[in-house]
Amino acid sequence: MTRSNSQSDAARPKARFRGVSDVNAWFARVGSLPILVVLAIVVFAWGNARFLSEDNIINISQQGVYLLIVALAQMLVLIAGGFDLSVGANMALTSIISSKVMVAMLAAYPAVPWLAVAAGFVATLGVGVATGALNAFGVGVLRINPFIVTLATTSIFQGATLIASEGTQVDGLPKPFIYTLGSGFVGNVPIVLLVTIPIVLAIYLLVSWTRFGRNLYATGSNPRAALIAGISVTFTLAVTYTLCASLAAIAGYLLTARVSSGEPLLGGEFPLRSITAAVIGGCSLRGGQGAVGGVVLGVIFVTILANGMDMLRLGSSIQMVILGVVLMFAVVMDRYKTS
Amino acid sequence: MNPGELPAPDSVIALSGVWKGYGSLSVLKDVSIDLRQGQVHMLLGENGAGKSTLVGLLVGAHAPDAGSLYLRGRKIAGLRPAEARRAGVNAVMQDFSLAPSMTVAENYFLGREETRGVFLRKHEMRSHVIDVFAQLGVRLNVDARVEALSRPEQQLLEIVRALGGKPGAIILDEPTATLTHEETELLFAIIRRLRNEGWAILYITHRFEEVRALGDCITVLRDGQRVAHYPVEGLTDERLIRDMVGRPLESFYPDISAEAGDVALSLVEIASHDGALREASLHVRSGEIVGVGGLIGSGKGHVGQAAFGLLRLDAGHLEVFGMQRNISSPSEALRCGIVYLPQDRRGEALALNRPAHENISFEMIRTSAGATRGFLRKRRLRSDVDRLMKSLDVRPRSSATEAQRFSGGNQQKLVVARALSRPRQIYIFCEPTAGIDVGTRVELYRQLVALCRKGAAVLLITSDLQELVHLSHRIYVMREGRMVGELRGEARTEEEVTRLSFGLSSAPEQLREAPR
Repeated sequence: MTRSNSQSDAARPKARFRGVSDVNAWFARVGSLPILVVLAIVVFAWGNARFLSEDNIINISQQGVYLLIVALAQMLVLIAGGFDLSVGANMALTSIISSKVMVAMLAAYPAVPWLAVAAGFVATLGVGVATGALNAFGVGVLRINPFIVTLATTSIFQGATLIASEGTQVDGLPKPFIYTLGSGFVGNVPIVLLVTIPIVLAIYLLVSWTRFGRNLYATGSNPRAALIAGISVTFTLAVTYTLCASLAAIAGYLLTARVSSGEPLLGGEFPLRSITAAVIGGCSLRGGQGAVGGVVLGVIFVTILANGMDMLRLGSSIQMVILGVVLMFAVVMDRYKTS
Repeated sequence: MNPGELPAPDSVIALSGVWKGYGSLSVLKDVSIDLRQGQVHMLLGENGAGKSTLVGLLVGAHAPDAGSLYLRGRKIAGLRPAEARRAGVNAVMQDFSLAPSMTVAENYFLGREETRGVFLRKHEMRSHVIDVFAQLGVRLNVDARVEALSRPEQQLLEIVRALGGKPGAIILDEPTATLTHEETELLFAIIRRLRNEGWAILYITHRFEEVRALGDCITVLRDGQRVAHYPVEGLTDERLIRDMVGRPLESFYPDISAEAGDVALSLVEIASHDGALREASLHVRSGEIVGVGGLIGSGKGHVGQAAFGLLRLDAGHLEVFGMQRNISSPSEALRCGIVYLPQDRRGEALALNRPAHENISFEMIRTSAGATRGFLRKRRLRSDVDRLMKSLDVRPRSSATEAQRFSGGNQQKLVVARALSRPRQIYIFCEPTAGIDVGTRVELYRQLVALCRKGAAVLLITSDLQELVHLSHRIYVMREGRMVGELRGEARTEEEVTRLSFGLSSAPEQLREAPR
């Protein structure tokens, strides 16, 4: 995003490497994240030779892809100056509702399992738009603090999930859903990764190349200025929260395929992890900042960290501690970068 | 003080031959300044001349790259902000550092509360604040929450707060920018008293009358260099302008002659829900600059908001080119061809942490030249932005730089660039030159007249009397939410505007009813 101005570059003689100030300028532009990613790879590869094996790289991509979708969803609301704590509860609700729909469709048309998969996806979008509309109403129309709104809707979605599921998982999902979408491959590439790539591209185009994207950054950066510039802040916020919830629902649907059953407790770790990855990736909690490239890198970092710590046989409790420390570190580095 | 010299014996804080740069950009080059006891030192310079950086060095917020800093004659390496404050060096900047949800008294003692054991001595602190206010003649309710105060009141509190403790140095950055006439007088009285008590005062301003009213000596910065330093006595405006801009300015106010056309915008008996406007009527023609004057609180700022759909109206209506329009949001106003440039640039006009080019192109991306089917035409936008930045001479000329990194005057240029980015019929400027240096101001006036000659209707809402009188074809004066008079031709004088503003009776032949 930070592109140097062509005019000032042309005016200056083609600069040679000028030592420390160049490193500083480069650091100010890209931040500490690429260095951290490389550092993490080096440390884990040194700690366990299998870390860089093909199997493990495929494994990492399968682990990271769900977080990637949710973190990009989170990025949208972070740019708009808010955040969404309800993404996890949303995923669980989607998991149960879409599973119930798929099981019912499979019972009605056992011969065409793909029809059930498609019906499940439609249900997913329905859940996403409905949950998103609720958040959008609270944040965009009523202008309540997003922390309170999404905390409240988390409780609502969790309750709805437990009512719908009666606390038990939903089995008997269509085979192609589990074996193709959940754990299928094209060559060496997981199918779920292939499904995710167009989503990532669409989000990139939306935020960086459309009028809506500009409105989004302006709204998050200074809502009053956005209003005076003729931007409908209510509309922008409403669309953003609905998009975020819909993307979280899609991630919940894909993750259901991966775990092969509808799970009422799915996605509990996603709110913290998605915010962590997005903030490490350059989103600011004050709004108006963040881009797809950075968030992708942030997701890679968080995923590598979790995978690498698994391989070093660190327990999950210590991993939680480390993730929290990393989040705080990321916020401090963000401040260094901007000052 | 000149480079290489030692500070005077009564120096509070001094810089000698300092350099300061960011990256490859040098902001201060070999600058020296000495703040001495009992002296009001005026600091002048255009926006971006390095004034803020200089202040940053004095309060220990930045460290100089080269040169030395003396605190009470003692050379200090690496002054820290806490150290500067302990030594009595305080700065009152334009960005307030008050806690809005706390009371006046709590803010006064913020960070230096008096305690007995671990408990606050609330009663003693409160009565101490009352004493201090009484001494200085400041009338503020010590129990009021800061967010309930007006901006000038907050400003006053900020200044009084910086005065705690023994005499030291105080740095004031354009303190009168938001003050009314009476408040300004009060502030001047406080400053004079401080000087007599032995304070060293650094006063940053763009207003020449303040230089004369208060100053003992002047330092002028230009492009990061100290270009002049002399006593105020015997100073002429011409000399000062020449030193600030580096060349003499032939005429400060441009020739405004233009052909007026049809009525473009009318406000008809507008009353706003918040009571700020009671019965406001005015009209602006194409090719005409219409000024709106009045005291702070007269409702003149609300006229702009009402015309731009930012105010809930209880009565009256708006007409654009003779058609009654229901404008209830800025986007509708923009659709009607109205552009509004708010006074509070940082709060209302700019997305501060976004790059300059995005801030300028907010309007352009709404046209088919800027975006096709919602997708941005980035190359086209960028060349348009570069052209606008060049024509307004925005500095630094870097469209990728975040808006918050520009100086105040250049931020205003970004807002103006946006307003010019798309041709409109009606422009509403609200205090366009508040906090703007001379060079930028002249440039802005030229743009204003150019717009008007191209056939735009311009509404100029301003507290600067000279500007109001010299740039408007007609002037409306407001008082308590009403138009109390309309001045044309020879009647457009500062005296007349002032008289109407204060509700004093006027010579009858000069007061006319605002015609419908």
